[in-house]
Amino acid sequence: MSDETNKTISYEELIPGYEFPLANYELSASLVSKYLKAVDSASDGFVPPLAITACAIAAMTRSIPLPPATIAIHAAQELEFFKLVPIGATVECHSRVARKITRGKMSMLILGLEVFDKGKDKVQSGKATIALPT
Amino acid sequence: MLTEIQEGKVLNPVVKHITQEKINLYAEASGDFNPIHIDKSFAAKTPVGGTIAHGMLSLAYVSEMMAATFGRSWLSEGKLQARFREPARPGDTLTINGKIDCVEQKDGVSYANCNFECLNQKGETIVTGETIVKVLK
Repeated sequence: MSDETNKTISYEELIPGYEFPLANYELSASLVSKYLKAVDSASDGFVPPLAITACAIAAMTRSIPLPPATIAIHAAQELEFFKLVPIGATVECHSRVARKITRGKMSMLILGLEVFDKGKDKVQSGKATIALPT
Repeated sequence: MLTEIQEGKVLNPVVKHITQEKINLYAEASGDFNPIHIDKSFAAKTPVGGTIAHGMLSLAYVSEMMAATFGRSWLSEGKLQARFREPARPGDTLTINGKIDCVEQKDGVSYANCNFECLNQKGETIVTGETIVKVLK
Protein backbone atom coordinates (compact mmCIF):
# COMPACT_ATOMS: atom_id res chain seq x y z
CA MET A 1 0.00 0.00 0.00
CA SER A 2 1.18 3.50 -0.73
CA ASP A 3 -0.77 6.33 0.75
CA GLU A 4 -0.68 9.39 2.94
CA THR A 5 -3.35 8.12 5.29
CA ASN A 6 -1.09 7.98 8.32
CA LYS A 7 -1.81 11.70 8.61
CA THR A 8 -4.55 12.36 11.10
CA ILE A 9 -6.66 15.46 11.23
CA SER A 10 -8.83 16.92 13.92
CA TYR A 11 -12.39 15.69 14.20
CA GLU A 12 -13.61 19.25 13.51
CA GLU A 13 -11.92 19.16 10.11
CA LEU A 14 -14.11 16.27 9.07
CA ILE A 15 -16.78 18.38 7.42
CA PRO A 16 -18.83 17.56 4.32
CA GLY A 17 -16.60 17.90 1.29
CA TYR A 18 -13.38 17.08 3.15
CA GLU A 19 -11.27 14.82 0.95
CA PHE A 20 -9.09 12.16 2.52
CA PRO A 21 -5.57 11.70 1.14
CA LEU A 22 -5.47 9.54 -1.98
CA ALA A 23 -4.58 5.93 -1.33
CA ASN A 24 -2.98 3.60 -3.87
CA TYR A 25 -3.08 -0.14 -3.48
CA GLU A 26 -1.21 -2.81 -5.33
CA LEU A 27 -3.61 -5.74 -5.23
CA SER A 28 -0.88 -8.35 -5.22
CA ALA A 29 -1.39 -12.09 -5.31
CA SER A 30 -0.21 -12.32 -1.70
CA LEU A 31 -2.68 -9.67 -0.51
CA VAL A 32 -5.54 -11.38 -2.35
CA SER A 33 -4.46 -14.74 -0.98
CA LYS A 34 -4.43 -13.39 2.58
CA TYR A 35 -7.86 -11.83 2.05
CA LEU A 36 -9.33 -15.06 0.65
CA LYS A 37 -7.95 -17.01 3.59
CA ALA A 38 -9.53 -14.52 6.02
CA VAL A 39 -12.94 -14.70 4.35
CA ASP A 40 -12.64 -18.46 3.87
CA SER A 41 -13.27 -18.29 0.13
CA ALA A 42 -11.77 -19.52 -3.12
CA SER A 43 -10.16 -17.47 -5.87
CA ASP A 44 -11.90 -16.92 -9.18
CA GLY A 45 -8.91 -15.25 -10.78
CA PHE A 46 -9.89 -11.66 -10.00
CA VAL A 47 -9.59 -9.42 -6.98
CA PRO A 48 -12.74 -9.82 -4.86
CA PRO A 49 -14.45 -6.42 -5.06
CA LEU A 50 -15.00 -6.36 -1.32
CA ALA A 51 -11.26 -6.77 -0.77
CA ILE A 52 -10.81 -3.45 -2.56
CA THR A 53 -13.58 -1.85 -0.50
CA ALA A 54 -12.06 -3.17 2.71
CA CYS A 55 -8.68 -1.58 1.95
CA ALA A 56 -10.31 1.73 1.01
CA ILE A 57 -12.42 1.83 4.18
CA ALA A 58 -9.44 0.94 6.34
CA ALA A 59 -7.46 3.81 4.79
CA MET A 60 -10.28 6.24 5.53
CA THR A 61 -10.87 5.12 9.09
CA ARG A 62 -7.15 5.30 9.89
CA SER A 63 -7.40 9.01 9.16
CA ILE A 64 -10.30 9.58 11.54
CA PRO A 65 -9.11 10.90 14.88
CA LEU A 66 -10.65 9.09 17.83
CA PRO A 67 -10.27 9.97 21.49
CA PRO A 68 -8.56 7.19 23.48
CA ALA A 69 -10.78 4.24 24.47
CA THR A 70 -13.54 5.17 22.04
CA ILE A 71 -14.74 3.09 19.13
CA ALA A 72 -15.97 3.61 15.59
CA ILE A 73 -18.75 1.31 14.43
CA HIS A 74 -19.45 0.52 10.78
CA ALA A 75 -23.23 1.03 10.65
CA ALA A 76 -24.11 0.75 6.95
CA GLN A 77 -22.56 0.26 3.54
CA GLU A 78 -23.58 0.95 -0.05
CA LEU A 79 -21.53 -0.37 -2.96
CA GLU A 80 -21.65 -0.50 -6.73
CA PHE A 81 -19.17 -2.46 -8.84
CA PHE A 82 -18.30 -1.38 -12.38
CA LYS A 83 -15.40 -3.50 -13.48
CA LEU A 84 -13.44 -6.64 -12.62
CA VAL A 85 -9.94 -5.98 -11.36
CA PRO A 86 -7.16 -8.46 -12.20
CA ILE A 87 -4.82 -9.68 -9.50
CA GLY A 88 -1.67 -7.57 -9.52
CA ALA A 89 -3.42 -4.38 -10.58
CA THR A 90 -2.99 -1.09 -8.76
CA VAL A 91 -6.03 0.98 -7.84
CA GLU A 92 -6.46 4.51 -6.57
CA CYS A 93 -9.02 5.25 -3.84
CA HIS A 94 -10.70 8.63 -3.54
CA SER A 95 -12.74 9.27 -0.43
CA ARG A 96 -14.45 12.20 1.18
CA VAL A 97 -16.89 13.16 3.89
CA ALA A 98 -20.34 13.23 2.32
CA ARG A 99 -22.35 14.03 5.44
CA LYS A 100 -21.81 14.49 9.16
CA ILE A 101 -24.75 14.12 11.49
CA THR A 102 -24.65 14.61 15.26
CA ARG A 103 -27.40 13.21 17.44
CA GLY A 104 -26.94 13.43 21.18
CA LYS A 105 -23.64 11.79 22.06
CA MET A 106 -23.26 10.06 18.69
CA SER A 107 -22.02 11.30 15.34
CA MET A 108 -22.61 9.62 12.02
CA LEU A 109 -20.04 10.16 9.32
CA ILE A 110 -21.15 9.22 5.83
CA LEU A 111 -18.06 8.72 3.72
CA GLY A 112 -18.13 8.62 -0.08
CA LEU A 113 -15.73 6.33 -1.87
CA GLU A 114 -14.61 5.95 -5.49
CA VAL A 115 -11.96 3.56 -6.75
CA PHE A 116 -10.24 3.83 -10.13
CA ASP A 117 -7.82 1.61 -12.00
CA LYS A 118 -4.63 2.80 -13.70
CA GLY A 119 -6.61 3.52 -16.86
CA LYS A 120 -8.77 5.93 -14.80
CA ASP A 121 -11.80 3.68 -15.23
CA LYS A 122 -14.02 3.58 -12.18
CA VAL A 123 -14.06 0.10 -10.71
CA GLN A 124 -16.37 0.72 -7.77
CA SER A 125 -18.09 3.41 -5.71
CA GLY A 126 -19.91 3.42 -2.43
CA LYS A 127 -20.82 5.04 0.85
CA ALA A 128 -19.84 3.91 4.31
CA THR A 129 -21.73 5.08 7.39
CA ILE A 130 -19.54 5.17 10.48
CA ALA A 131 -21.01 5.80 13.93
CA LEU A 132 -18.72 7.59 16.37
CA PRO A 133 -19.07 8.77 19.94
CA THR A 134 -18.56 12.54 20.27
CA MET B 1 -24.96 -20.96 -10.26
CA LEU B 2 -28.74 -20.91 -10.16
CA THR B 3 -30.19 -22.18 -13.40
CA GLU B 4 -33.50 -20.40 -12.94
CA ILE B 5 -33.52 -16.74 -12.04
CA GLN B 6 -37.07 -15.98 -11.05
CA GLU B 7 -38.99 -14.13 -8.39
CA GLY B 8 -39.15 -15.90 -5.06
CA LYS B 9 -36.15 -18.10 -5.80
CA VAL B 10 -34.13 -18.78 -2.65
CA LEU B 11 -30.36 -18.47 -3.06
CA ASN B 12 -28.08 -21.19 -1.76
CA PRO B 13 -27.15 -20.11 1.77
CA VAL B 14 -23.57 -19.58 2.89
CA VAL B 15 -22.54 -20.74 6.37
CA LYS B 16 -19.32 -19.52 7.99
CA HIS B 17 -17.74 -19.84 11.39
CA ILE B 18 -16.09 -16.73 12.83
CA THR B 19 -12.86 -17.10 14.77
CA GLN B 20 -10.49 -14.56 16.25
CA GLU B 21 -7.83 -15.97 13.91
CA LYS B 22 -9.95 -15.10 10.88
CA ILE B 23 -10.63 -11.62 12.28
CA ASN B 24 -6.91 -11.08 12.81
CA LEU B 25 -6.19 -12.28 9.27
CA TYR B 26 -8.86 -9.96 7.93
CA ALA B 27 -7.26 -7.06 9.81
CA GLU B 28 -3.91 -7.88 8.20
CA ALA B 29 -5.39 -8.23 4.71
CA SER B 30 -7.45 -5.04 4.87
CA GLY B 31 -5.14 -2.94 7.02
CA ASP B 32 -8.00 -2.27 9.46
CA PHE B 33 -6.39 -2.74 12.87
CA ASN B 34 -9.12 -1.00 14.86
CA PRO B 35 -8.57 -2.45 18.38
CA ILE B 36 -12.26 -3.26 18.72
CA HIS B 37 -11.55 -6.14 16.34
CA ILE B 38 -8.20 -7.44 17.56
CA ASP B 39 -7.44 -6.25 21.10
CA LYS B 40 -9.36 -8.37 23.61
CA SER B 41 -8.52 -6.29 26.67
CA PHE B 42 -9.42 -3.02 24.91
CA ALA B 43 -12.64 -4.44 23.48
CA ALA B 44 -13.70 -5.89 26.84
CA LYS B 45 -13.83 -2.38 28.29
CA THR B 46 -16.08 -1.00 25.53
CA PRO B 47 -19.88 -1.15 25.33
CA VAL B 48 -19.66 -4.16 22.94
CA GLY B 49 -17.86 -6.14 25.68
CA GLY B 50 -15.37 -8.04 23.52
CA THR B 51 -13.81 -8.21 20.10
CA ILE B 52 -16.15 -8.14 17.12
CA ALA B 53 -15.68 -9.03 13.47
CA HIS B 54 -15.26 -6.34 10.86
CA GLY B 55 -18.62 -5.57 9.26
CA MET B 56 -17.01 -6.03 5.87
CA LEU B 57 -16.11 -9.61 6.81
CA SER B 58 -19.81 -10.46 7.08
CA LEU B 59 -20.44 -8.63 3.80
CA ALA B 60 -17.75 -10.73 2.12
CA TYR B 61 -19.92 -13.78 2.83
CA VAL B 62 -22.90 -12.03 1.24
CA SER B 63 -20.75 -11.32 -1.81
CA GLU B 64 -19.73 -15.00 -1.93
CA MET B 65 -23.39 -16.03 -2.02
CA MET B 66 -24.13 -13.52 -4.78
CA ALA B 67 -21.10 -14.57 -6.85
CA ALA B 68 -22.06 -18.23 -6.49
CA THR B 69 -25.50 -17.39 -7.88
CA PHE B 70 -24.80 -14.75 -10.50
CA GLY B 71 -21.13 -15.29 -11.34
CA ARG B 72 -19.07 -12.51 -12.88
CA SER B 73 -22.12 -10.35 -13.41
CA TRP B 74 -22.14 -9.78 -9.65
CA LEU B 75 -18.41 -9.11 -9.44
CA SER B 76 -18.38 -6.62 -12.28
CA GLU B 77 -21.79 -4.93 -12.10
CA GLY B 78 -23.38 -5.74 -8.74
CA LYS B 79 -24.98 -3.21 -6.44
CA LEU B 80 -25.47 -3.60 -2.69
CA GLN B 81 -26.98 -1.80 0.29
CA ALA B 82 -26.38 -3.21 3.75
CA ARG B 83 -27.15 -2.27 7.33
CA PHE B 84 -25.09 -3.72 10.16
CA ARG B 85 -27.56 -4.54 12.94
CA GLU B 86 -25.53 -6.42 15.52
CA PRO B 87 -21.85 -7.32 15.75
CA ALA B 88 -20.59 -10.78 14.80
CA ARG B 89 -18.26 -12.20 17.43
CA PRO B 90 -15.57 -14.87 17.58
CA GLY B 91 -17.29 -18.23 18.02
CA ASP B 92 -20.37 -17.20 16.03
CA THR B 93 -21.62 -19.27 13.13
CA LEU B 94 -23.16 -17.02 10.51
CA THR B 95 -25.74 -18.10 7.96
CA ILE B 96 -26.35 -15.84 4.98
CA ASN B 97 -29.75 -16.26 3.36
CA GLY B 98 -30.96 -14.55 0.22
CA LYS B 99 -33.97 -14.48 -2.04
CA ILE B 100 -34.83 -12.94 -5.41
CA ASP B 101 -37.55 -10.38 -4.66
CA CYS B 102 -38.27 -9.49 -8.28
CA VAL B 103 -36.77 -9.49 -11.75
CA GLU B 104 -37.10 -6.19 -13.60
CA GLN B 105 -36.53 -5.29 -17.23
CA LYS B 106 -34.69 -2.11 -18.10
CA ASP B 107 -33.62 -1.26 -21.65
CA GLY B 108 -33.98 -4.90 -22.63
CA VAL B 109 -31.81 -6.14 -19.77
CA SER B 110 -33.05 -8.18 -16.80
CA TYR B 111 -32.03 -7.21 -13.29
CA ALA B 112 -32.59 -9.38 -10.22
CA ASN B 113 -33.46 -7.52 -7.03
CA CYS B 114 -32.53 -9.66 -4.03
CA ASN B 115 -32.74 -9.29 -0.30
CA PHE B 116 -30.40 -10.93 2.17
CA GLU B 117 -29.93 -11.40 5.87
CA CYS B 118 -27.06 -12.67 7.94
CA LEU B 119 -28.04 -14.48 11.13
CA ASN B 120 -25.94 -15.87 13.94
CA GLN B 121 -26.45 -19.26 15.59
CA LYS B 122 -28.95 -17.70 18.04
CA GLY B 123 -31.07 -16.41 15.17
CA GLU B 124 -30.05 -12.81 15.83
CA THR B 125 -29.89 -10.59 12.78
CA ILE B 126 -26.35 -9.38 12.12
CA VAL B 127 -26.72 -7.75 8.68
CA THR B 128 -29.65 -7.07 6.37
CA GLY B 129 -29.74 -5.57 2.93
CA GLU B 130 -30.59 -5.62 -0.75
CA THR B 131 -28.67 -6.26 -3.92
CA ILE B 132 -29.27 -5.62 -7.61
CA VAL B 133 -27.51 -7.63 -10.30
CA LYS B 134 -27.78 -7.96 -14.06
CA VAL B 135 -29.03 -11.36 -15.16
CA LEU B 136 -26.87 -12.76 -17.93
CA LYS B 137 -28.63 -14.97 -20.47
